[in-house]
Amino acid sequence: MRAPEASILIVNPDRKTQRTVQRILGVTGHRIDVADDLDQAVRLVAHAPPVLVVIDGALYTDEQAEPLRRLVAAAKERGAEACMTLLGAAIARIPTILHLGAVTNLLVHPMPVLGEELTITAQKLLRGDLFGAEKYLLWGTELHATTMTRASQRSHLVAELAARVRGLGQSARVASMAMLVADELISNAVHNAPVDARGVHYRRELARDGELELDERHGVRVRWGCDARYLAVEVRDAFGSLDRDTILHSLGRSDVRETGSGAGMGISLAYRSCDHLVFNLAPGRCTEIIALIDVRYPPTERVHASSYNVFVEQAP
Amino acid sequence: MSSDTRGRMTITEQGDALVLAGSIDETSALHELPASARSGRLVLDLAAITFINSLGVRDWIRMQLAAQKAGLAVELRRVSEPLMHQLNMIVATRGSAAVTSFYAPYACDACGREESLLIDAITHAERLVRLDPPPMTCPDCRSAMAFNDFPERYFSFLSV
Repeated sequence: MRAPEASILIVNPDRKTQRTVQRILGVTGHRIDVADDLDQAVRLVAHAPPVLVVIDGALYTDEQAEPLRRLVAAAKERGAEACMTLLGAAIARIPTILHLGAVTNLLVHPMPVLGEELTITAQKLLRGDLFGAEKYLLWGTELHATTMTRASQRSHLVAELAARVRGLGQSARVASMAMLVADELISNAVHNAPVDARGVHYRRELARDGELELDERHGVRVRWGCDARYLAVEVRDAFGSLDRDTILHSLGRSDVRETGSGAGMGISLAYRSCDHLVFNLAPGRCTEIIALIDVRYPPTERVHASSYNVFVEQAP
Repeated sequence: MSSDTRGRMTITEQGDALVLAGSIDETSALHELPASARSGRLVLDLAAITFINSLGVRDWIRMQLAAQKAGLAVELRRVSEPLMHQLNMIVATRGSAAVTSFYAPYACDACGREESLLIDAITHAERLVRLDPPPMTCPDCRSAMAFNDFPERYFSFLSV
């Protein structure tokens, strides 16, 4: 963990929310600085570089696009990779925020703050301990693991996942969402992840219904578990070829809704089919993607948009 | 759904419709469907579609474009929820098809039962345009069921 004297910067115009976020992040032991707006935040970042910046998405308007970009750039330049946005009423702004391609962590919630998600995100960033769906599930939750050895196992695995999720008493809607995200993430790990020394994705163009042996290097690990709050589906490959910019571009693709095709469609569809998509990236070593589906609430009580995180392991 | 396979898509003829069942994915060969049209009409019964992935979406869009190009009138009947989600999420999946009936989620406040129920889009056309889901009765306790999604989201396929 980094030195506790380093600060976390909260950028939020509302005093009450500032205090709530302060209480949540104060438990990390870091000093908490507060800015009421983006300009003030830019000045604070220059004066006392934070390890983490937490920005309220409601601050982001058309006029504030440039200050937000400046703040994100300034924070990144000073080593505060973690710039996250909390959205309440600003959910309608998500497409624009995604299009910026600069916000690496977006937590969506109707309340001012979703404490658990914010705490997990902050702790992962501050500790540099990124991997594992366990971080999102309650203690004692069993994670079922399978390592794929053939590409054709995808269909079987996805069907088995849906059947077991139904067997746990979850709704057909939840099982259907789990099937879709698992299928897309596995397909991505089997066909898009493998890359050679020259950076060529040599399995990307292969027919998805063809058989492929997945040796130790190409093996894909799938884990899933449910704690009656979230159903988590985790898919991991051993290449680590997926990068931050590709992810942000895929999430921000505004033409998916119109065209339904093109590169990044799988990631885009997975994002739109779960409540929270987490990317844990160790460049050249592994990529782990975790899809979280909130099983507590019916669609009418859920937020109209999904959260995401893109975590990148720092070189030692 | 079988527990050991996602289920490849199957096609059978039933009356004037082709009945599609199982998963729409990379193995589905949807491009062959327009050739089965009769008298300029392609009628698809989609109640038994359990799954569609991004490759299935891509092929579905190609099938719609091919049907459009051939001047076929495409009718989608009894569209299952997994496919409805794609029709609502991705505009291109709608093509110029007419959805005449579809499944939608309902929940009973009294007993908690959740059910996917069939809505006749022609009989209820006026209500659906007003984003007013038709009333349904719980098969368990006979109480009134509530629509279990946001109408503006679930009925967005109507706004082609």
